[in-house]
Parts: sequence; C-alpha cells; structure tokens
Amino acid sequence: MRPGLTASIGALAVLLAQSAHAHRIDEYLQATLLSLQEDRVQASMRLVPGILAAPSVIAEIDQDHDGILSESEKHAYALRVLNDLTIEIDGAGVLPKLIAWHFPTPEQVRDGLGEIQIEYAVSVPSVGANRTLTLADHHLSRTSVYLVNVLVPDDRDIHIVSQRRNEQQSWYELRYQQLTAGGALSRTPAPEREARGTWSSSQFRSLFDLGMRHIAEGTDHLLFLLALLLAAPLCVSGSRWGLPASVRQTLRRIIGIVTAFTVGHSITLALAALGVVRVPEQPVEALIAASILVSAVHAFRPIFPGKEGWVAAVFGLVHGLAFATVLDRIGLVHWEKVTGILAFNLGIEAMQLVVVAAILPSLMLIGRTRAYPIVRIGGAVFAATAAVGWLVERLSGMETPVDKIVNGVAQQALWIAVAGFLASLAYRFPLAYRTRSAAKPEPVFRD
Amino acid sequence: MRKMKGFLATVMTIFLSLPLLGAAQRSPSNSEIVQAANTFLASLSTEQRQNVVYAFNDATQRARWSNLPTGFVPRGGISLKQMSPPQRDAAMKLLATVLSPMGLEKLNEIRAADDDFKANGSRRGPPGGRGGPRAAGPPPGGGKGPPPRSDEMFGSDLYYISFLGTPSTTNPWMLQFGGHHLALNITIGGSKGVLTPTLTGAQPAAFKLNGKTIRPLGRESDKALALLQSLDAKQRQQAVLNYTVADLVLGPGQDDKKIAPEGLKASSLNAAQQTALLELIAEWSGIINESYATARMSEITADLSETWFAWSGPTNGEGGSNITAYYRIQGPHLVIEYAPQHDEPANHVHTIYRDPTNDYGRALTTQ
Repeated sequence: MRPGLTASIGALAVLLAQSAHAHRIDEYLQATLLSLQEDRVQASMRLVPGILAAPSVIAEIDQDHDGILSESEKHAYALRVLNDLTIEIDGAGVLPKLIAWHFPTPEQVRDGLGEIQIEYAVSVPSVGANRTLTLADHHLSRTSVYLVNVLVPDDRDIHIVSQRRNEQQSWYELRYQQLTAGGALSRTPAPEREARGTWSSSQFRSLFDLGMRHIAEGTDHLLFLLALLLAAPLCVSGSRWGLPASVRQTLRRIIGIVTAFTVGHSITLALAALGVVRVPEQPVEALIAASILVSAVHAFRPIFPGKEGWVAAVFGLVHGLAFATVLDRIGLVHWEKVTGILAFNLGIEAMQLVVVAAILPSLMLIGRTRAYPIVRIGGAVFAATAAVGWLVERLSGMETPVDKIVNGVAQQALWIAVAGFLASLAYRFPLAYRTRSAAKPEPVFRD
Repeated sequence: MRKMKGFLATVMTIFLSLPLLGAAQRSPSNSEIVQAANTFLASLSTEQRQNVVYAFNDATQRARWSNLPTGFVPRGGISLKQMSPPQRDAAMKLLATVLSPMGLEKLNEIRAADDDFKANGSRRGPPGGRGGPRAAGPPPGGGKGPPPRSDEMFGSDLYYISFLGTPSTTNPWMLQFGGHHLALNITIGGSKGVLTPTLTGAQPAAFKLNGKTIRPLGRESDKALALLQSLDAKQRQQAVLNYTVADLVLGPGQDDKKIAPEGLKASSLNAAQQTALLELIAEWSGIINESYATARMSEITADLSETWFAWSGPTNGEGGSNITAYYRIQGPHLVIEYAPQHDEPANHVHTIYRDPTNDYGRALTTQ
C-alpha cells in the first residue's frame, strides 16, 4: 500500500462505506482501443481514476489548484498524457496527434465516476504491407492499470496478424498487414467494395508471400519432404537401400513425391480453409512430427519402397490442415477465401520448388557415390531426432530445444545448400580440376 | 408384428414430442408478453406512465445503464420502490414472461445480493447500512442535493423499469430493467427478442440467505473453470493470456465495438468441450425466455468454430467458489466478459453480454 494511503485508513473506511466498493478504488484505469485505418491508426483512451487515485489525478490536471478544470488545463493534460506514450511503427518513433478530449467535472472524478476521454492518431508512413506498432504507456504508471485492444478493422484490406502485451498491458505490440497501399480502392466505402468483391493483385501477392514465408519458416514441413527425398536416388535391395537408381528414375521419383505432397496438402488446405473440415490443431501438429519420423526411418531402411508418392500424399493431407490454421489466423472472410487459398498455396508451392531445386543437383550428384550413405543416414538421424523432439513437445507440452536447433540450422540453409553442392561436386568429380585427361568417372557405388 | 412396430413408433413419437409441446406451451408467445406489458402499464398512474415510457428512438435512455448503484448513475423509468404492491406484481409478472425461469432467478439473486450489501457492506469495508456523511463532495453529476444515503443507494427495490416505444406484436419496442449490477436491455420485434447488451454483476458474489449460500453468478464461474480445466496443455497455452485484464473491455458505453479476438478458437475444442462452452454461454443467452433464447443459441452454435475463449488470471480453483480470473468469449455475433473486480475479486464481479452486430436489436429495427 502506498504511504499516503496508510495514513488515512479512517477516511478510507468512510469512503468504502459510501461508494468505493461499487467501482475502482486506488487504481487509475487507462483503456485504449485502437482502430486501424489506411496509413493511420486512431486511438481512443478512456481514463478512469478510482476514488483514491482521483485526488492525485485531479492535482495533475488542475495545475493552478483552483478546483476548476479550465479548458487550457484540460488541453495541457491531454497533451501530457500523449507525451507519456511511446509509439513506434516498425521500430521508428512516431508522435501522436491529439484529436479530441473530454473531461468530466472534478466532482465526478472525485467520486470515482469520472471518465476522461482522449482521442489521438498516428500516421503510419507507407512501409509496405507488414507493419508493427508498439505502444508503451508510462503515464502515472505507479497507480495505473491498462487495457489495450484493437478493433476489428472496417477496412477489409487490413488484417491483424498478432497482438502481444506485457503482463500489465502497459506495453503492447500489434502486427498487422495492410494489403493495398493507398489508391482509390481503399477509400471506397466498405459495403460497396464488399459487393464488388475486388481482389487486387497486391492482396494476392501478399498472401503468396505469406505462403512462401510459411513454408520457409515451417521447418517441420520441409524436413518431412527432404527426409522423404533422401532415399529417392536409390534402389531397394532386400531390406536395405542398395544400388543407385538411374538419373531418370531418381528425377521421376523426386517429381512424384513433391507432386503427391502438393496434391495432398492442397486438398486439405482448401477444405479446412473453407471450413468444410474442422480438425483440432494439436493432433495435426503431432501427426506432422510423426510423419517426419516415418520418412526419416524410411531413409534409413526402406519401409515402403516404391510407395513414397502415396506416403507423401497421405501425410500431405495432414500438413495441409496445419497450413490452413495460418489462413485462419489472418481472418480472411468468406468471399476472399478462394483466391486467398490459391495465392497462399501457390506461395507454398513456389517456395517448395525453390528448396527442392536447391538440393536437387547435390542429391543427383552425391546420390550416386560411395559417400551417400553417410549423407543419407546423417540426414535420417537428424530428421528423426527433430521428429522425436517435436512429438514429445506436441504431445506433452514439454519444452525441448528442438525448435531452436532446427531453426538455427534452417537459418543457415542457403549456405548449407551451397556447401553441400560444392562438396558433392568435388566428391563426384574429384579429378576434374586436376587433370582433364586423368578424369575417370567415379566408379558407381556398389554395396 | 409390423403393426406392432408401427404402433410402437407412433407411441414413441408422441411420447418424445410431448416435452417439445410442453416447452412450446411454457414459452410465452409474443402476444402474451405484450399483454403482460400492457397490464403493467395499465396499472400505473398517468404520471408514472409518462415517466416509464420513452420514445423508441431515445438514444440517451437506451444507453442509460451501468454497473453502478442508481444513486450514482440515475436510471430512467420508475423503481420497484416507487410502485404499489399490485404494480410491483405486474412488473414482476412481466419480467417472468419475458425472461426464462433461470433468468428471473438470476435477476432476483442479483437483487438479493444488493440487499445483503446494504445490510452487511463489503467484506473488506465496514457495513454499508450506516449512511453517514459522504466524505467526498456532492453526488455525481454535479448535483446540489443532499448526499445520497445508503438506503437510496442499495437494495432490491432500487431496480428500475422503463420502455422505449409502445409494446406491440408487430413494431419493435424495448424493455429495460436494471439497477446496481444489473442492466437488461430487451428489444422485441415481431417474433424476435434480443437481450444484448446486458450486464450482470454481483457484490457480494457469494453470500448466505436464510442459511443457504447464494451465488448469483456462480454457474458462470463454475462452468468456465470446468471448461478451462478440461483443456489439454496445448489448448490451455492458447486460451490463457499472459497479461492481466483489470476490467471489462466492452462495458457500459462501449456499444457496437468489435475487438480483435484472442485466446483459443473453439474449432480446436473437442465435442464435449464445445458443448461445455455453449452451456457456459447459455448462462447469458438463456436469461431471456426460451423462444427468443433458442433462436439466439442456434446463431451462436452456427458461429461456434469462429468463437474464441480467453482466460486471464489464476487457473487453479475449485468449483463452488468463485474464480478470481477474467475470461472472455467472443464470436462473430457475441461478446461475453466475466471480470472479477480488483477490490474483492472472488466476491465482486461484473459481466457483460453483447452482440456487437446487434446491440439493442439494431438488426431487427433497421430492416
């Protein structure tokens, strides 16, 4: 309890008996509602001093202590509140502009009934589609409690991505997307646009990018696919992996697996995003981890030789369900969904192709050499370990370092791919740069 | 044999539809509600009637409701205290027609809590029944009158009834009933009845009446806690917010506002959990009589996959004693907030029930 309070327990009792129990007591409630507009964020603050916080708030406003809140004192206080805010857009500070303010009478404030209202706005410089706004409120922080929320945007081109807060909500971070940057389209009143249902190319582009980013960051999806591709260059011999397959065979298999995975996840992504199927997230995530384990084991010892395509398709169905949750989160409305799904899915496919294209040459080169078992088994062990970690995490809720490790590896993916390619090149054609005449093809690996 | 089967089927069908018929009969028709309203209005004097009926488009009266005692925020209409016993009976009869039995019980328990508060005061403060001088200035609104005394501030008779428009089976009209910790805003248009926005609350939120513990909003606490405790680790991780929510976000005055939902989406609940969520929602949607509530509940059920459940505060607790955590249920046509108040979290709670797309039945009246 604050020192000022302890001194007046008696007064407190009288106050409590009369009114304090009915509403806030010693807190200063500061509730902010943000509203996102094109290149602009408007905020309305409701400031409600509790009955014991009221005197200090009144003293803050009534600077000449004449018991009257003059217009200039109100204006000055509103500015002071804004001055105590730290607002950043994409990490750069922006200044709030005061729009309107409304003050109750000092009597209402003293009764704990007064609500001060302050409206302000910040303009958002055109910084591309993805925006991050942070709001920190330092105003009378010792007595204050905070609420910060964002209204669902009226503007259909604006999508809220995420909100984060500290424990007291005195710090708030909002990530959102503004899909069209300016133009007459955004200024058309919402109902009209709704009727026309226009889907601009930038919206398409933005969702395409989101799809690409999702698969690039969704290491579990890629790991499943990569582990499944590990055995593609090989023929089965008994219960083990044996001779390298022909180049054509290998290529055909890789294309088959990637296509099957694509077909599988496209089907369920569409079904789930359109709301035809509803599946709880947790089992889906756990199944995805299990799918990686299965493909890792297969890379080690053939368990479904020749049926990789089918396995990719079936597990693709599961992965598609997880993709759908992303679309779910950005809150596409119904009519946008079909185009949205298409854009997002194309983004996923594009990124998937990039990844496959990046490892394909290495796989083709080294897959036919004696060193390949090391690569294959190493990869299988890595994928299996990650899968087990994720399984534990997703089934029990226990934290494991798997995410951190895999993401660390994934961040170096480009360099790993380049190094892998150079290494395969060097291994496959060891003499190519020594002497052209001595270059003999590496004897194909025989078990 | 086939005859036997046919006979059995007929008997079963009749038997199974009996409860339905019964429900249909129990649920008062629109004309019964209008009749009950007119009976009440007819029992009033001309002057009383003038005070109780507002124009349907009176936006000020429509929004004149609060969680605060009526001494602080005066309500429109007339209070039960200002009514004669027959008038009071007619008012309660009207409420019993418009509300479900559960709703009427809740309303009466909230009023009983205010009686208890008047007699015993807050657990942490001294008894409220003593009156005494106000320490802090004149009453709100800058009024110059004498400071309100406790018996003008609290008690089950300080609940006000008012109408917007004239009760009618065809044209929309509104019935309001409220006081400290209660605001029912009921818009009736044709066969439809809309309860949003409605505020319930209680302090004390658990008290003894004739030796029996009363918790006016006890099921709101128990059902929510049971739902939370049925969540698995991953669901819970999404449902439980990592920040405190000190009060209602969309309390009085925050009409038509739609905030971005947070927490756990009901599409990732299993069937039993979804049922539990709907049953929790029914604590608000079911305040109004069954014929209106059924339509509302099917709307909420249809929205279920787009409905969110968020929790902030302690996750441990026991059914039977009030939670001290905040929770919010939010869907395309629904906002429910349950906000324990900072002074006495387990014994003082405010809740709000809204349809941001249809507060005050706007969708009914603007068609």
